[in-house]
Amino acid sequence: MKIKRIAALGMSGLMAASVLTACGGSTSSSSATTSSGSTGSESTASESTASESTASGEQVSLKVSLWDATSNPADLAAIEAFEAANPDIKVDLIDIPSTDYNTKLNTMLNGGSQLDVYFIKQADMTKSFYDKGQLLDLTPYIEESGVDMAAYNGTADGFAFDGKQYGLPVRTDFYVLYYNKDLFDAKGLEYPSNDMTWTEFEELAGKLSGDGNYGALMHTWQAMAWNWAIQDGQHSIMDYETGYDFAKTSYDMLVRMQENGYIQDYGQLKSGNIHYSGAFAQGNVAMMPMGTWFIGTMKAKVDSGEADFNWGVATIPHPEGVETGYTVGASTPLGINPATKVADAAWRFVEFMTGAEGAAVYAKEGYIPARADETILETVASNEGMPEGLAEALQTKNITPDRPIVDKVGDVDQILAEQHSMIMLGECTVDEGLAEITNQVKDLLA
Amino acid sequence: MANATKQETKKGISLNLRNTLVGLSFILPNFIGFAVFTLVPVIFSFILSLMKWDGFTPMEFVAFDNFVKIFGEKKFIESLGHTVYFAFFTVLLSMAAALALALLLNQKLKFVNFFRSAIFFPYVASIVAVSCVWKAMFMEDGGVINSALQMLGVAEDMLPGWTASVAWAMPAVIIVSVWRNMGYFMIIYLAALQDIPNSLYEAAEMDGASKWQQFVRITFPMLTPSHFFVFMMLTINSFKTFDLIFLMTEGGPGTATQLLSMYVYNKAFISWDYGVTSAASMVLFLIVATITVLQFRVEKKFNDFM
Amino acid sequence: MIEKKQHPVARFAVYALLIILTIGTLLPLVWMLSASLKLDSEVFTVPIKWLPETFHWENYPKVWQKIDFATYSFNSLKLTVIITLIQLFTCSFASYGFSKCNFKGRDTLFLCYVATIAIPWQTYMLPQYSLMRMLGGVDTHWGYIALQAFSAFGVFLLRQFYQSIPNELLEAARIDGLSEYGIYGRIVLPLAKPALTTLTIFTFVTIWNDFMGPMIYFNTESLKTIPLGIRMFLGQYSTSYELIMAASVMSLLPVFALYIPCQKFFVQGVATSGLKG
Repeated sequence: MKIKRIAALGMSGLMAASVLTACGGSTSSSSATTSSGSTGSESTASESTASESTASGEQVSLKVSLWDATSNPADLAAIEAFEAANPDIKVDLIDIPSTDYNTKLNTMLNGGSQLDVYFIKQADMTKSFYDKGQLLDLTPYIEESGVDMAAYNGTADGFAFDGKQYGLPVRTDFYVLYYNKDLFDAKGLEYPSNDMTWTEFEELAGKLSGDGNYGALMHTWQAMAWNWAIQDGQHSIMDYETGYDFAKTSYDMLVRMQENGYIQDYGQLKSGNIHYSGAFAQGNVAMMPMGTWFIGTMKAKVDSGEADFNWGVATIPHPEGVETGYTVGASTPLGINPATKVADAAWRFVEFMTGAEGAAVYAKEGYIPARADETILETVASNEGMPEGLAEALQTKNITPDRPIVDKVGDVDQILAEQHSMIMLGECTVDEGLAEITNQVKDLLA
Repeated sequence: MANATKQETKKGISLNLRNTLVGLSFILPNFIGFAVFTLVPVIFSFILSLMKWDGFTPMEFVAFDNFVKIFGEKKFIESLGHTVYFAFFTVLLSMAAALALALLLNQKLKFVNFFRSAIFFPYVASIVAVSCVWKAMFMEDGGVINSALQMLGVAEDMLPGWTASVAWAMPAVIIVSVWRNMGYFMIIYLAALQDIPNSLYEAAEMDGASKWQQFVRITFPMLTPSHFFVFMMLTINSFKTFDLIFLMTEGGPGTATQLLSMYVYNKAFISWDYGVTSAASMVLFLIVATITVLQFRVEKKFNDFM
Repeated sequence: MIEKKQHPVARFAVYALLIILTIGTLLPLVWMLSASLKLDSEVFTVPIKWLPETFHWENYPKVWQKIDFATYSFNSLKLTVIITLIQLFTCSFASYGFSKCNFKGRDTLFLCYVATIAIPWQTYMLPQYSLMRMLGGVDTHWGYIALQAFSAFGVFLLRQFYQSIPNELLEAARIDGLSEYGIYGRIVLPLAKPALTTLTIFTFVTIWNDFMGPMIYFNTESLKTIPLGIRMFLGQYSTSYELIMAASVMSLLPVFALYIPCQKFFVQGVATSGLKG
C-alpha cells in the first residue's frame, strides 16, 4: 500500500518533469525557425538564431512588433511586399492586442528582449523611448541611403532630438469628416462641404437628428473635444498656464449637442461597448469626425455588406477664424532597437516601410502614408469603392499633432481622459472640469 | 549523570538537524522555484521603492522620497480609499452570499448538482466577455437591470446610473465581483457544512431549538475555520483586483473606481516611474500583511479557546 | 445533510428561490450565448433581444478561421493541466513542511511566501521578465510554467487546511514509527482531498483565464492561448463582440468537462474526511 502510493507519487513527479523538458525542447526548436536543427541549450536558442543565420549568409530573421496585424490588411501587405523585395530577410511578426501594446512593448524593451524593429503606437511616446536610449540613431543610415526628408512634409520632425533622427513615420493619420449620403438625401440637404465651421456642423447635425437618427457620432475619446481645441495649432494639451480656456468652446459644443440629442449619449456609448466603426456602419448616424485610418475599415465594411449605404468624406470642420485644411493628426513611427544584432536588415525594413515603396502599398490599401503627395492621395482616392471627391477632402494645410512629443504627456492624457468622462456624464460642468484639469496638470508639471 | 546530559544534548542536536532536513526536503521542491521566479523579483521591487528608476536607465537612490511623494498625491489617497471601499463590501457580501447559497444547496433537493454548477459558473467564464455583458446590463436607459428595477416599481428618475455615474460605479463593480466570487466560496462552505456532525442538530432539535437558533448556535460557529479561510482569500484577491474593473470602467468615471492596483499599473506603464510603483505596492503589501497577521492572531486565539 | 421532511410549502419556496437565483446568476451567461449567435451590430441593441432574429451559427466556425483556435485551445489545456499538477504536488508537499514540521527558520521562510502574495504582479513583472529572459524562458511554454507552477498562494491555501489537522493524530503515527513522508502520504494527503480540490479548481480557472502572463511572455503564434485569442477581437480598428462571445462560450466547455466529475469527487471526498475546515 505504502510503496504503491509513493511509487505513484514518484511517477507523477517524473511525468511532470518529462512533460516539462519535452515542452521546453519543442518550443525552443519551433521558435528557431531559420536555423534548421539547431539544438543549442534553451537559454541561447533565440539569440543564436539571429547570429548564426547572418554568419552563414542564410535568411536573416527580423523581429518586428506591431498591433492588431490580423485586422489591418495594410501592414501585412506592406510587410509582404518588403519580403518579396528582400528575399534574404524574413520578418518575424510579433502581433500584440492593441489595448496592451504599450505594456508589452515596454516590458520587452526594458527587459532586454530580442526585438529589432518596433512600431510606436502613440507618437508621443517616442520621447520616452529616446530618453531611455531605446531608439537607434538613424541619421547615419538616412545620410548613407540618401533619404529625402522633405518628402515627409514635416511629419518626421517630431522624431528628431538634438538634431538627430530617431524614428521615421510610416503613416500619418489626420481627422476628416465621414458622412452618410443617404441620410442627407432623405432630408434633401446638401452634403457637407470641405470648408465648414464647427458652428455650421452643429447646425447641420441638428437638422439631421430625429426619427431614430443622429446628426453626428462623437466617439467617447477625449479627442472629440480636445482635438478641435488645438486645431488652430496655437495650443497643446500641456498648456495649463492658460487654464485651458481654449478648450471651452469645443467642450460647450459637445455637451450642447449631447443635451439636444444630436449625438448619442456618452454614457450609453460607453456602457453599450459601442465601437464607432459599428455605430457608423449601422446607418443611423449622419456625420462622424474620425481619423483617416477609418477609410480602409469603412471600405471593408461596405464590401462585406455590413454597411449598406453611400458614404462620403469631407475635410474636417474648422473653428471660426481658422482656415480650412487645418486638422489634427498623429504619425505612426518606426524605430530600431539599439540592441539589435541585425541593424542593417532593420534599416532596410524601416527604409522600405517609410519610403516610396511602402507608401505605395499603404495607399493602395486605403491608408495614408506619411509621405503623402498628390500622387499618393490620388492612389488612395482611386481605390475601388472609395467615395467621390476623396482626394479633395484629404487636402491639408496643417496637421497639428494631437499630443506633443514631450515629457509626461501620457500622464496629462490620463488626466484628460478621467475628467472628460466626468464632464460628459454631467458629473461636473465644463468649467469645473477644466479647472480640475488645470490643477492636476499644474501639480504634475510645475 | 553528566555523561547522560551530554548524550542527550548530542541527540538533541542531531534530532534538530534531522527535523530541519526533513522539513526542508518537504519545502524545497516548491521553494526553489518560488525563490527564483517570484521571491527574487519581489525583493528587487522592494529595493526599487527606495530608488528612482524609469525601467531602463541606471537607477538612483532616493531613500523615502517615493513614499513622501505618493502620500502627498491626491490620486493615491483616493485610490487607497476606493480599494478599501471595494474590498470591504466585496469581502462581506461575497461571504454572505456564499454562505447563504451553501446553506440553501446543502439540502436533499432534486437537481441540486445543476443548481450548484449554475452558481459556480460565473467564476470560470472569460473576464473579457463577462465584463462586456455586465457593462451592457448596467446601461442606464434600457439596460436589463434598470428595466427590472422599473418593473419592481422604482421610479424612472430614481434609477441608478451604474457605470455611468460616480456614485453608482463602485456598487456596480462590487456586484459583478460578488457574482463572480460567490460560486467558488460557496463550494468551500459546502464542503465544510458536510462535516458538521448530524448528531449536533439532532440534539438541538430534541432541545426544541428553532432553525435560526441552530444556525446561530451550531452552523455558524462550526464553520469558523472556513470563515477565516474564505475571509483571507477574498481579502487578498479583492486588494489585487485589476482585470475586471479595468475592462468594465477603466477606473472611471473620473477616478471613481480607480483601485490601488490600477494606480500601480498607471505609474508603471504611463508614468514610467517604477520607484513610485514599488512604493505604492509596499503600502498595499503592508495593509494585506497587517490583516493577515491580525487574522492569524485571532485564529490562534480561537483555536486555543476551542 | 438535514434529513428531516420539510413542509411542502417550504419546499416549494426553496425551489422557487433557487430557480430565481439561478436565472439571475446565469443571465449574463445566457446573454453571452445569445450574443454569440447574433450579428455584431445586434449584440448591444436596446432593449435587448434574448433570441437572435436569425441564428448566426457561422460565428463559431468564423472564430476558428480568424484565429488558430485549435492551437490556442491545445496550448491552454496543456499549460493549465501541467501547471495545476505541479502546483498540487509541490504546494501540498511544502505546506506539510510549513505546518507540521518544526525547525528553525520555518516561519521566516513562510513569511517570504505571504509577502509575495500581497504584491500586485504589475510591480515585479519587469524584474521577473528580465530574469526570465536571462534564463531563456521568454517565448517558451516552460518559462511560463516555471513562473506559475510554484505558487505562493497554493502553499498558503493548503497550509491553512493542514493546520486544522490535529497534531495528536500525527503524534500517534510518529509513535507507531511512521516517517514524516509516511505521515504525509498516508494520513495527511487523504485527509486533504477537499483542500486539494479547492486548489485544483482555483489554479485551473486562474491559469485558464490568465491573460496578462501569456500576453507578456508569448510572441510566437503557435504558443498563444485562448484568452489572448479572445482579446484579438477587441481591436483598435473594429471590435467583433459576437466572436468574443462565441470564443468565450467555447472556452467554457473544457472547464465544464473538468468541473462535473470534480464536483462529485469533491462532495464524496469531503464526506469521508472528517476534516474540520
